[in-house]
Amino acid sequence: MIDQRMPIRTILATAVLLCALPSPAFAMHIAEGILPLPWALLWYAVAFPFVAWGLRDLRRRSREAPWFKPLVGLVGAALFLISCMPIPVPTAGTCSHPSGAGIAAILIGPWLTAVVASIALTLQALFLAHGGLTTLGANIVSMGVAGAWVGWGVFAAARRFGLPWFAAAFLAGLFSDWATYATTSLELAAALHGEGSFTTMFSLILLAFVPTQLPLGILEGFLCAGALKFIRSRRPELLRAVPEGGTS
Amino acid sequence: MFDLFSDIFTYRDNALTRIDPRVKLLIALAALVAVVSAERPILPFGFFVLCLGTVAALGVPAKLVALRLAAPFSTVAVLVVIHTFVTGTTPLFTLTLGGWTLTAKAEGFRQGLFLGNRVLGALSIVLLLGIATPAHRIFQALRGFRISKEWVEVAILMYRYIFVLLDRVGDLAAAQRLRLGYRAPRRGLASFSALAGATIVHSFEQARRTHDAMRLRGYRGTMPFGPFPALKRRERGILLLGLAGILAAYAILEWGVAG
Repeated sequence: MIDQRMPIRTILATAVLLCALPSPAFAMHIAEGILPLPWALLWYAVAFPFVAWGLRDLRRRSREAPWFKPLVGLVGAALFLISCMPIPVPTAGTCSHPSGAGIAAILIGPWLTAVVASIALTLQALFLAHGGLTTLGANIVSMGVAGAWVGWGVFAAARRFGLPWFAAAFLAGLFSDWATYATTSLELAAALHGEGSFTTMFSLILLAFVPTQLPLGILEGFLCAGALKFIRSRRPELLRAVPEGGTS
Repeated sequence: MFDLFSDIFTYRDNALTRIDPRVKLLIALAALVAVVSAERPILPFGFFVLCLGTVAALGVPAKLVALRLAAPFSTVAVLVVIHTFVTGTTPLFTLTLGGWTLTAKAEGFRQGLFLGNRVLGALSIVLLLGIATPAHRIFQALRGFRISKEWVEVAILMYRYIFVLLDRVGDLAAAQRLRLGYRAPRRGLASFSALAGATIVHSFEQARRTHDAMRLRGYRGTMPFGPFPALKRRERGILLLGLAGILAAYAILEWGVAG
Protein backbone atom coordinates (compact mmCIF):
# COMPACT_ATOMS: atom_id res chain seq x y z
CA MET A 1 0.00 0.00 0.00
CA ILE A 2 1.24 3.52 -0.77
CA ASP A 3 1.89 5.64 2.28
CA GLN A 4 -0.75 8.40 2.14
CA ARG A 5 1.46 10.82 4.13
CA MET A 6 4.48 10.35 1.94
CA PRO A 7 6.62 13.52 2.08
CA ILE A 8 7.00 15.46 -1.13
CA ARG A 9 10.79 15.07 -0.94
CA THR A 10 10.43 11.27 -1.11
CA ILE A 11 8.33 11.64 -4.25
CA LEU A 12 10.90 14.03 -5.71
CA ALA A 13 13.83 11.80 -4.77
CA THR A 14 12.12 8.79 -6.37
CA ALA A 15 11.47 10.90 -9.44
CA VAL A 16 15.16 11.87 -9.58
CA LEU A 17 16.08 8.20 -9.34
CA LEU A 18 13.66 7.38 -12.16
CA CYS A 19 15.27 10.02 -14.34
CA ALA A 20 18.42 7.91 -14.31
CA LEU A 21 16.55 5.12 -16.11
CA PRO A 22 16.31 5.20 -19.89
CA SER A 23 12.76 3.85 -19.99
CA PRO A 24 10.67 7.00 -20.48
CA ALA A 25 12.30 7.49 -23.86
CA PHE A 26 10.58 4.31 -25.05
CA ALA A 27 7.52 4.45 -22.87
CA MET A 28 5.17 6.05 -25.36
CA HIS A 29 2.86 3.05 -25.18
CA ILE A 30 1.87 0.97 -22.19
CA ALA A 31 3.66 -2.37 -22.48
CA GLU A 32 1.85 -5.66 -22.89
CA GLY A 33 0.56 -7.18 -19.66
CA ILE A 34 0.90 -4.14 -17.39
CA LEU A 35 -2.80 -3.46 -17.09
CA PRO A 36 -4.96 -5.91 -15.14
CA LEU A 37 -7.86 -7.41 -17.13
CA PRO A 38 -10.67 -5.08 -15.85
CA TRP A 39 -8.63 -1.98 -16.74
CA ALA A 40 -7.65 -3.39 -20.11
CA LEU A 41 -11.33 -4.02 -20.90
CA LEU A 42 -12.37 -0.59 -19.63
CA TRP A 43 -9.93 1.21 -21.97
CA TYR A 44 -11.09 -0.96 -24.87
CA ALA A 45 -14.64 0.18 -24.10
CA VAL A 46 -13.53 3.84 -24.00
CA ALA A 47 -11.64 3.54 -27.30
CA PHE A 48 -14.35 1.61 -29.15
CA PRO A 49 -16.79 4.49 -29.91
CA PHE A 50 -13.99 6.67 -31.28
CA VAL A 51 -12.72 3.95 -33.62
CA ALA A 52 -16.29 2.98 -34.61
CA TRP A 53 -17.15 6.60 -35.43
CA GLY A 54 -13.89 6.92 -37.36
CA LEU A 55 -14.80 3.86 -39.43
CA ARG A 56 -18.25 5.34 -40.10
CA ASP A 57 -16.51 8.53 -41.23
CA LEU A 58 -14.21 6.46 -43.46
CA ARG A 59 -17.18 4.69 -45.11
CA ARG A 60 -18.94 8.01 -45.73
CA ARG A 61 -15.89 9.74 -47.20
CA SER A 62 -15.03 6.67 -49.32
CA ARG A 63 -18.48 6.88 -50.94
CA GLU A 64 -17.79 10.54 -51.84
CA ALA A 65 -14.22 9.93 -53.01
CA PRO A 66 -13.46 6.29 -53.91
CA TRP A 67 -9.70 6.82 -53.57
CA PHE A 68 -10.10 7.93 -49.95
CA LYS A 69 -9.56 4.46 -48.43
CA PRO A 70 -6.21 3.92 -50.18
CA LEU A 71 -5.32 7.48 -49.16
CA VAL A 72 -5.97 6.76 -45.48
CA GLY A 73 -3.97 3.53 -45.77
CA LEU A 74 -1.04 5.33 -47.40
CA VAL A 75 -1.12 8.32 -45.04
CA GLY A 76 -1.36 5.82 -42.18
CA ALA A 77 1.73 4.01 -43.48
CA ALA A 78 3.59 7.32 -43.76
CA LEU A 79 2.60 8.32 -40.23
CA PHE A 80 3.61 4.89 -38.95
CA LEU A 81 7.08 5.40 -40.46
CA ILE A 82 7.33 8.95 -39.06
CA SER A 83 6.40 7.62 -35.61
CA CYS A 84 9.27 5.09 -35.93
CA MET A 85 11.89 7.70 -36.88
CA PRO A 86 14.41 8.19 -34.08
CA ILE A 87 14.75 11.67 -32.57
CA PRO A 88 17.75 12.28 -30.29
CA VAL A 89 16.64 13.56 -26.87
CA PRO A 90 19.61 15.48 -25.41
CA THR A 91 18.35 15.48 -21.80
CA ALA A 92 18.12 11.69 -21.69
CA GLY A 93 21.14 11.02 -23.88
CA THR A 94 19.09 8.61 -25.95
CA CYS A 95 16.66 8.48 -28.87
CA SER A 96 12.91 8.62 -28.76
CA HIS A 97 10.12 8.63 -31.33
CA PRO A 98 7.44 11.18 -32.21
CA SER A 99 3.83 10.07 -31.69
CA GLY A 100 2.63 11.56 -35.00
CA ALA A 101 -0.88 11.99 -33.59
CA GLY A 102 -0.88 15.78 -33.98
CA ILE A 103 0.11 15.84 -37.63
CA ALA A 104 -2.24 12.92 -38.37
CA ALA A 105 -5.16 14.79 -36.80
CA ILE A 106 -4.38 17.91 -38.85
CA LEU A 107 -4.16 15.90 -42.09
CA ILE A 108 -7.03 13.42 -41.79
CA GLY A 109 -9.02 14.66 -38.77
CA PRO A 110 -9.23 13.23 -35.24
CA TRP A 111 -11.82 10.50 -35.95
CA LEU A 112 -9.74 8.87 -38.67
CA THR A 113 -6.61 9.32 -36.57
CA ALA A 114 -8.20 6.96 -34.02
CA VAL A 115 -8.63 4.34 -36.79
CA VAL A 116 -5.09 4.79 -38.12
CA ALA A 117 -3.69 4.76 -34.57
CA SER A 118 -5.54 1.52 -33.76
CA ILE A 119 -3.95 -0.17 -36.80
CA ALA A 120 -0.48 1.29 -36.22
CA LEU A 121 -0.60 0.23 -32.56
CA THR A 122 -1.69 -3.29 -33.52
CA LEU A 123 1.25 -3.58 -35.93
CA GLN A 124 3.66 -2.17 -33.35
CA ALA A 125 2.38 -4.61 -30.71
CA LEU A 126 2.70 -7.61 -33.03
CA PHE A 127 5.97 -6.87 -34.78
CA LEU A 128 7.90 -4.45 -32.57
CA ALA A 129 6.84 -5.47 -29.02
CA HIS A 130 5.90 -1.81 -28.63
CA GLY A 131 2.66 -1.49 -26.67
CA GLY A 132 0.53 -4.61 -26.59
CA LEU A 133 -2.72 -6.33 -27.49
CA THR A 134 -4.09 -6.25 -23.94
CA THR A 135 -3.10 -2.59 -23.62
CA LEU A 136 -4.27 -1.68 -27.14
CA GLY A 137 -7.42 0.03 -25.88
CA ALA A 138 -5.47 2.16 -23.40
CA ASN A 139 -2.88 3.07 -26.02
CA ILE A 140 -5.57 4.01 -28.57
CA VAL A 141 -7.14 6.29 -25.95
CA SER A 142 -3.85 8.02 -25.11
CA MET A 143 -2.50 8.41 -28.65
CA GLY A 144 -5.43 8.11 -31.05
CA VAL A 145 -8.01 9.88 -28.91
CA ALA A 146 -6.34 12.23 -26.39
CA GLY A 147 -3.32 13.01 -28.58
CA ALA A 148 -5.39 13.41 -31.74
CA TRP A 149 -8.20 15.51 -30.24
CA VAL A 150 -5.84 17.76 -28.31
CA GLY A 151 -3.66 18.25 -31.41
CA TRP A 152 -6.63 18.94 -33.66
CA GLY A 153 -8.35 21.16 -31.07
CA VAL A 154 -5.22 23.21 -30.41
CA PHE A 155 -4.61 23.64 -34.14
CA ALA A 156 -8.20 24.70 -34.82
CA ALA A 157 -8.26 27.09 -31.83
CA ALA A 158 -4.89 28.62 -32.70
CA ARG A 159 -6.01 29.25 -36.29
CA ARG A 160 -9.27 30.76 -35.03
CA PHE A 161 -7.29 33.12 -32.79
CA GLY A 162 -5.36 34.22 -35.85
CA LEU A 163 -2.04 32.51 -35.15
CA PRO A 164 0.04 31.75 -38.26
CA TRP A 165 -0.35 28.16 -39.41
CA PHE A 166 3.31 27.38 -38.56
CA ALA A 167 2.77 28.39 -34.91
CA ALA A 168 -0.59 26.56 -34.85
CA ALA A 169 1.02 23.37 -36.17
CA PHE A 170 3.87 23.70 -33.64
CA LEU A 171 1.41 24.01 -30.75
CA ALA A 172 -0.65 21.10 -32.11
CA GLY A 173 2.42 18.82 -32.21
CA LEU A 174 3.61 19.99 -28.79
CA PHE A 175 0.32 19.59 -26.93
CA SER A 176 -0.70 16.38 -28.69
CA ASP A 177 2.59 14.79 -27.55
CA TRP A 178 2.19 15.99 -23.99
CA ALA A 179 -1.48 14.96 -23.91
CA THR A 180 -0.49 11.46 -25.03
CA TYR A 181 1.98 11.11 -22.17
CA ALA A 182 -0.29 12.68 -19.57
CA THR A 183 -3.04 10.23 -20.54
CA THR A 184 -0.60 7.31 -20.46
CA SER A 185 0.46 8.37 -16.94
CA LEU A 186 -3.17 8.61 -15.88
CA GLU A 187 -3.96 5.16 -17.26
CA LEU A 188 -0.97 3.61 -15.52
CA ALA A 189 -1.62 5.36 -12.21
CA ALA A 190 -5.31 4.46 -12.25
CA ALA A 191 -4.51 0.78 -12.76
CA LEU A 192 -1.49 0.47 -10.49
CA HIS A 193 -2.03 2.70 -7.46
CA GLY A 194 -3.76 -0.13 -5.58
CA GLU A 195 -5.10 1.00 -2.23
CA GLY A 196 -2.71 3.94 -2.08
CA SER A 197 -2.89 7.44 -3.36
CA PHE A 198 -3.73 7.85 -7.02
CA THR A 199 -2.28 11.37 -6.99
CA THR A 200 1.11 10.20 -5.68
CA MET A 201 1.37 7.45 -8.28
CA PHE A 202 0.20 9.78 -11.06
CA SER A 203 2.74 12.45 -10.04
CA LEU A 204 5.55 9.91 -9.95
CA ILE A 205 4.82 8.45 -13.36
CA LEU A 206 4.32 11.90 -14.86
CA LEU A 207 7.62 13.08 -13.35
CA ALA A 208 9.35 10.01 -14.74
CA PHE A 209 8.26 11.05 -18.24
CA VAL A 210 9.31 14.71 -17.85
CA PRO A 211 13.07 14.49 -18.73
CA THR A 212 12.34 13.02 -22.16
CA GLN A 213 8.82 14.13 -22.93
CA LEU A 214 9.28 17.82 -22.19
CA PRO A 215 11.95 18.21 -24.89
CA LEU A 216 10.40 15.55 -27.12
CA GLY A 217 7.12 17.49 -27.16
CA ILE A 218 8.97 20.60 -28.30
CA LEU A 219 10.80 18.59 -30.98
CA GLU A 220 7.51 17.05 -32.11
CA GLY A 221 6.06 20.56 -32.35
CA PHE A 222 8.88 21.60 -34.69
CA LEU A 223 8.52 18.34 -36.63
CA CYS A 224 4.78 18.89 -37.11
CA ALA A 225 5.27 22.51 -38.20
CA GLY A 226 8.27 21.68 -40.40
CA ALA A 227 6.50 18.81 -42.16
CA LEU A 228 3.44 20.95 -42.87
CA LYS A 229 5.68 23.77 -44.07
CA PHE A 230 7.29 21.34 -46.51
CA ILE A 231 3.93 20.11 -47.82
CA ARG A 232 2.53 23.65 -48.13
CA SER A 233 5.58 24.87 -50.01
CA ARG A 234 5.87 21.87 -52.39
CA ARG A 235 2.35 20.54 -52.86
CA PRO A 236 -0.21 22.87 -51.21
CA GLU A 237 -3.03 21.32 -53.21
CA LEU A 238 -2.55 18.06 -51.29
CA LEU A 239 -3.75 19.71 -48.10
CA ARG A 240 -6.85 21.03 -49.84
CA ALA A 241 -7.50 17.58 -51.29
CA VAL A 242 -8.20 16.11 -47.86
CA PRO A 243 -11.90 16.69 -47.31
CA GLU A 244 -12.70 18.07 -43.83
CA GLY A 245 -9.06 17.89 -42.80
CA GLY A 246 -7.87 20.54 -40.40
CA THR A 247 -5.82 22.43 -42.94
CA SER A 248 -8.28 22.66 -45.83
CA MET B 1 13.38 0.68 -34.73
CA PHE B 2 13.16 -0.18 -38.45
CA ASP B 3 15.68 -3.00 -37.90
CA LEU B 4 13.24 -4.68 -35.55
CA PHE B 5 10.37 -4.50 -38.01
CA SER B 6 10.98 -7.72 -39.82
CA ASP B 7 8.43 -10.38 -40.66
CA ILE B 8 10.86 -12.71 -42.41
CA PHE B 9 10.42 -15.43 -39.77
CA THR B 10 6.68 -15.61 -40.38
CA TYR B 11 7.31 -17.00 -43.88
CA ARG B 12 9.40 -19.96 -42.72
CA ASP B 13 7.81 -23.35 -42.97
CA ASN B 14 7.41 -24.92 -39.53
CA ALA B 15 4.76 -26.53 -37.37
CA LEU B 16 3.58 -23.19 -35.99
CA THR B 17 3.39 -21.25 -39.26
CA ARG B 18 1.27 -24.07 -40.78
CA ILE B 19 -1.50 -23.67 -38.15
CA ASP B 20 -4.59 -21.65 -39.16
CA PRO B 21 -4.14 -18.05 -37.91
CA ARG B 22 -7.62 -18.06 -36.33
CA VAL B 23 -6.52 -20.92 -34.07
CA LYS B 24 -3.30 -19.11 -33.13
CA LEU B 25 -5.18 -15.88 -32.42
CA LEU B 26 -7.72 -17.60 -30.16
CA ILE B 27 -5.04 -19.49 -28.23
CA ALA B 28 -2.92 -16.33 -27.88
CA LEU B 29 -5.95 -14.37 -26.67
CA ALA B 30 -6.80 -17.03 -24.07
CA ALA B 31 -3.17 -17.09 -22.90
CA LEU B 32 -3.10 -13.27 -22.62
CA VAL B 33 -6.31 -13.26 -20.57
CA ALA B 34 -4.81 -15.92 -18.28
CA VAL B 35 -1.60 -13.91 -17.82
CA VAL B 36 -3.20 -10.51 -17.15
CA SER B 37 -5.71 -12.00 -14.72
CA ALA B 38 -3.04 -14.02 -12.86
CA GLU B 39 -2.44 -13.08 -9.24
CA ARG B 40 0.71 -15.15 -8.74
CA PRO B 41 3.96 -14.73 -10.68
CA ILE B 42 4.42 -18.39 -11.60
CA LEU B 43 1.85 -18.55 -14.45
CA PRO B 44 3.19 -15.49 -16.36
CA PHE B 45 6.74 -16.75 -15.79
CA GLY B 46 5.75 -20.17 -17.11
CA PHE B 47 4.37 -18.60 -20.30
CA PHE B 48 7.53 -16.50 -20.63
CA VAL B 49 9.78 -19.57 -20.47
CA LEU B 50 7.56 -21.63 -22.77
CA CYS B 51 7.15 -18.94 -25.45
CA LEU B 52 10.76 -17.78 -25.38
CA GLY B 53 11.91 -21.41 -25.57
CA THR B 54 9.68 -21.89 -28.64
CA VAL B 55 11.02 -18.67 -30.20
CA ALA B 56 14.57 -19.95 -29.67
CA ALA B 57 13.65 -23.35 -31.12
CA LEU B 58 12.31 -21.60 -34.24
CA GLY B 59 15.79 -20.17 -34.78
CA VAL B 60 15.00 -16.49 -34.20
CA PRO B 61 18.27 -14.66 -33.40
CA ALA B 62 18.64 -13.86 -29.70
CA LYS B 63 19.77 -10.32 -30.59
CA LEU B 64 16.48 -9.54 -32.33
CA VAL B 65 14.49 -10.92 -29.39
CA ALA B 66 16.61 -8.91 -26.92
CA LEU B 67 16.15 -5.73 -28.97
CA ARG B 68 12.41 -6.21 -29.13
CA LEU B 69 12.25 -6.81 -25.39
CA ALA B 70 14.48 -3.83 -24.50
CA ALA B 71 11.76 -1.18 -24.48
CA PRO B 72 9.27 -3.14 -22.35
CA PHE B 73 12.12 -4.17 -20.01
CA SER B 74 12.88 -0.52 -19.34
CA THR B 75 9.20 0.18 -18.63
CA VAL B 76 9.27 -2.71 -16.17
CA ALA B 77 12.37 -1.20 -14.53
CA VAL B 78 10.50 2.06 -13.94
CA LEU B 79 7.56 0.22 -12.40
CA VAL B 80 9.83 -1.84 -10.12
CA VAL B 81 11.58 1.33 -8.89
CA ILE B 82 8.30 3.18 -8.32
CA HIS B 83 6.73 0.31 -6.42
CA THR B 84 9.87 -0.44 -4.41
CA PHE B 85 10.17 3.08 -3.03
CA VAL B 86 6.54 4.02 -2.80
CA THR B 87 4.58 0.89 -1.88
CA GLY B 88 4.72 -1.16 1.32
CA THR B 89 5.98 -0.80 4.87
CA THR B 90 8.71 -3.42 5.51
CA PRO B 91 12.15 -1.80 4.94
CA LEU B 92 14.44 -3.62 2.54
CA PHE B 93 17.36 -1.19 2.20
CA THR B 94 17.96 2.54 2.26
CA LEU B 95 19.45 4.76 -0.40
CA THR B 96 20.86 8.24 0.09
CA LEU B 97 20.38 10.56 -2.85
CA GLY B 98 21.70 14.09 -2.54
CA GLY B 99 20.94 14.34 1.15
CA TRP B 100 17.57 12.58 0.83
CA THR B 101 17.15 9.10 2.21
CA LEU B 102 14.93 6.70 0.33
CA THR B 103 13.73 3.46 1.87
CA ALA B 104 13.02 0.50 -0.38
CA LYS B 105 10.20 -1.73 0.82
CA ALA B 106 9.88 -5.48 0.46
CA GLU B 107 6.18 -5.48 -0.49
CA GLY B 108 6.73 -2.89 -3.18
CA PHE B 109 9.69 -4.77 -4.61
CA ARG B 110 7.63 -7.97 -4.77
CA GLN B 111 4.74 -6.11 -6.39
CA GLY B 112 7.12 -4.60 -8.95
CA LEU B 113 8.61 -7.98 -9.76
CA PHE B 114 5.15 -9.49 -10.12
CA LEU B 115 4.20 -6.77 -12.59
CA GLY B 116 7.45 -7.34 -14.44
CA ASN B 117 6.69 -11.06 -14.67
CA ARG B 118 3.26 -10.32 -16.07
CA VAL B 119 4.72 -8.02 -18.72
CA LEU B 120 7.30 -10.62 -19.75
CA GLY B 121 4.72 -13.40 -19.88
CA ALA B 122 2.24 -11.43 -21.98
CA LEU B 123 4.94 -9.99 -24.19
CA SER B 124 6.44 -13.38 -25.00
CA ILE B 125 3.00 -14.66 -26.12
CA VAL B 126 2.58 -11.77 -28.58
CA LEU B 127 6.21 -12.13 -29.68
CA LEU B 128 5.60 -15.77 -30.56
CA LEU B 129 2.34 -14.92 -32.37
CA GLY B 130 4.10 -12.21 -34.39
CA ILE B 131 6.93 -14.56 -35.30
CA ALA B 132 4.66 -17.42 -36.33
CA THR B 133 2.00 -15.53 -38.33
CA PRO B 134 2.35 -13.07 -41.24
CA ALA B 135 0.49 -9.78 -40.76
CA HIS B 136 -1.83 -10.25 -43.74
CA ARG B 137 -2.97 -13.62 -42.37
CA ILE B 138 -3.61 -12.10 -38.94
CA PHE B 139 -5.73 -9.41 -40.60
CA GLN B 140 -7.57 -12.02 -42.67
CA ALA B 141 -8.27 -13.97 -39.49
CA LEU B 142 -9.58 -10.81 -37.83
CA ARG B 143 -11.97 -10.36 -40.77
CA GLY B 144 -12.99 -13.98 -40.17
CA PHE B 145 -13.91 -12.89 -36.63
CA ARG B 146 -16.16 -10.15 -38.13
CA ILE B 147 -13.83 -7.22 -37.44
CA SER B 148 -14.92 -4.26 -39.63
CA LYS B 149 -13.89 -4.77 -43.26
CA GLU B 150 -12.88 -1.09 -43.56
CA TRP B 151 -10.48 -1.52 -40.64
CA VAL B 152 -8.99 -4.71 -42.12
CA GLU B 153 -8.73 -3.18 -45.59
CA VAL B 154 -6.90 -0.06 -44.35
CA ALA B 155 -4.69 -2.28 -42.16
CA ILE B 156 -3.68 -4.43 -45.14
CA LEU B 157 -2.95 -1.32 -47.25
CA MET B 158 -0.97 0.25 -44.42
CA TYR B 159 1.09 -2.86 -43.85
CA ARG B 160 1.82 -3.26 -47.58
CA TYR B 161 2.86 0.35 -48.08
CA ILE B 162 4.95 0.67 -44.93
CA PHE B 163 7.62 -1.36 -46.74
CA VAL B 164 7.19 0.52 -50.03
CA LEU B 165 7.52 3.88 -48.28
CA LEU B 166 10.35 2.56 -46.11
CA ASP B 167 12.52 2.11 -49.20
CA ARG B 168 11.70 5.63 -50.35
CA VAL B 169 12.36 7.13 -46.89
CA GLY B 170 15.65 5.24 -46.69
CA ASP B 171 16.80 6.75 -49.99
CA LEU B 172 15.76 10.25 -48.93
CA ALA B 173 17.46 9.94 -45.55
CA ALA B 174 20.66 8.66 -47.20
CA ALA B 175 20.61 11.62 -49.62
CA GLN B 176 20.14 14.02 -46.71
CA ARG B 177 23.05 12.47 -44.82
CA LEU B 178 25.29 12.74 -47.90
CA ARG B 179 24.44 16.45 -48.04
CA LEU B 180 25.37 16.75 -44.32
CA GLY B 181 21.73 17.34 -43.43
CA TYR B 182 22.16 16.02 -39.91
CA ARG B 183 25.48 17.70 -39.06
CA ALA B 184 24.10 20.17 -36.52
CA PRO B 185 21.02 19.79 -34.29
CA ARG B 186 19.11 22.69 -35.86
CA ARG B 187 19.88 21.56 -39.39
CA GLY B 188 19.06 17.99 -38.39
CA LEU B 189 15.63 19.02 -37.15
CA ALA B 190 14.94 20.88 -40.41
CA SER B 191 16.07 17.82 -42.42
CA PHE B 192 13.98 15.52 -40.27
CA SER B 193 10.88 17.71 -40.78
CA ALA B 194 11.50 17.81 -44.54
CA LEU B 195 11.86 14.01 -44.53
CA ALA B 196 8.54 13.64 -42.70
CA GLY B 197 6.87 16.12 -45.09
CA ALA B 198 8.32 14.35 -48.15
CA THR B 199 7.09 11.00 -46.83
CA ILE B 200 3.56 12.37 -46.50
CA VAL B 201 3.68 13.97 -49.97
CA HIS B 202 4.87 10.69 -51.43
CA SER B 203 2.10 8.78 -49.63
CA PHE B 204 -0.55 11.10 -51.14
CA GLU B 205 0.86 10.59 -54.63
CA GLN B 206 1.18 6.85 -54.15
CA ALA B 207 -2.43 6.67 -52.90
CA ARG B 208 -3.74 7.91 -56.27
CA ARG B 209 -1.53 5.49 -58.18
CA THR B 210 -2.51 2.62 -55.88
CA HIS B 211 -6.21 3.37 -56.30
CA ASP B 212 -5.85 3.48 -60.09
CA ALA B 213 -3.96 0.18 -60.07
CA MET B 214 -6.57 -1.40 -57.80
CA ARG B 215 -9.42 -0.21 -60.05
CA LEU B 216 -7.71 -1.73 -63.07
CA ARG B 217 -7.67 -5.02 -61.16
CA GLY B 218 -11.40 -4.84 -60.46
CA TYR B 219 -11.47 -2.91 -57.16
CA ARG B 220 -14.90 -1.27 -56.68
CA GLY B 221 -14.57 0.25 -53.22
CA THR B 222 -14.12 -2.86 -51.08
CA MET B 223 -11.60 -5.69 -51.08
CA PRO B 224 -13.11 -9.14 -51.50
CA PHE B 225 -12.17 -11.34 -48.55
CA GLY B 226 -14.13 -14.35 -49.74
CA PRO B 227 -15.74 -17.05 -47.61
CA PHE B 228 -13.65 -18.38 -44.77
CA PRO B 229 -13.23 -22.16 -44.77
CA ALA B 230 -14.31 -24.01 -41.64
CA LEU B 231 -11.48 -25.15 -39.40
CA LYS B 232 -10.16 -28.59 -40.24
CA ARG B 233 -10.41 -31.41 -37.73
CA ARG B 234 -6.70 -31.22 -36.94
CA GLU B 235 -6.94 -27.49 -36.27
CA ARG B 236 -10.03 -27.87 -34.11
CA GLY B 237 -8.01 -30.42 -32.14
CA ILE B 238 -5.09 -28.00 -31.73
CA LEU B 239 -7.48 -25.27 -30.58
CA LEU B 240 -9.16 -27.50 -28.01
CA LEU B 241 -5.81 -28.82 -26.78
CA GLY B 242 -4.37 -25.31 -26.48
CA LEU B 243 -7.37 -23.92 -24.61
CA ALA B 244 -7.54 -26.96 -22.33
CA GLY B 245 -3.82 -26.62 -21.58
CA ILE B 246 -4.18 -22.96 -20.64
CA LEU B 247 -7.21 -23.68 -18.47
CA ALA B 248 -5.40 -26.55 -16.73
CA ALA B 249 -2.31 -24.42 -16.11
CA TYR B 250 -4.48 -21.62 -14.71
CA ALA B 251 -6.41 -24.02 -12.48
CA ILE B 252 -3.26 -25.61 -11.09
CA LEU B 253 -1.10 -22.52 -10.68
CA GLU B 254 -3.73 -19.94 -9.73
CA TRP B 255 -6.50 -21.84 -8.00
CA GLY B 256 -4.21 -24.57 -6.64
CA VAL B 257 -6.54 -27.32 -7.89
CA ALA B 258 -3.79 -29.94 -7.80
CA GLY B 259 -2.72 -28.97 -4.30
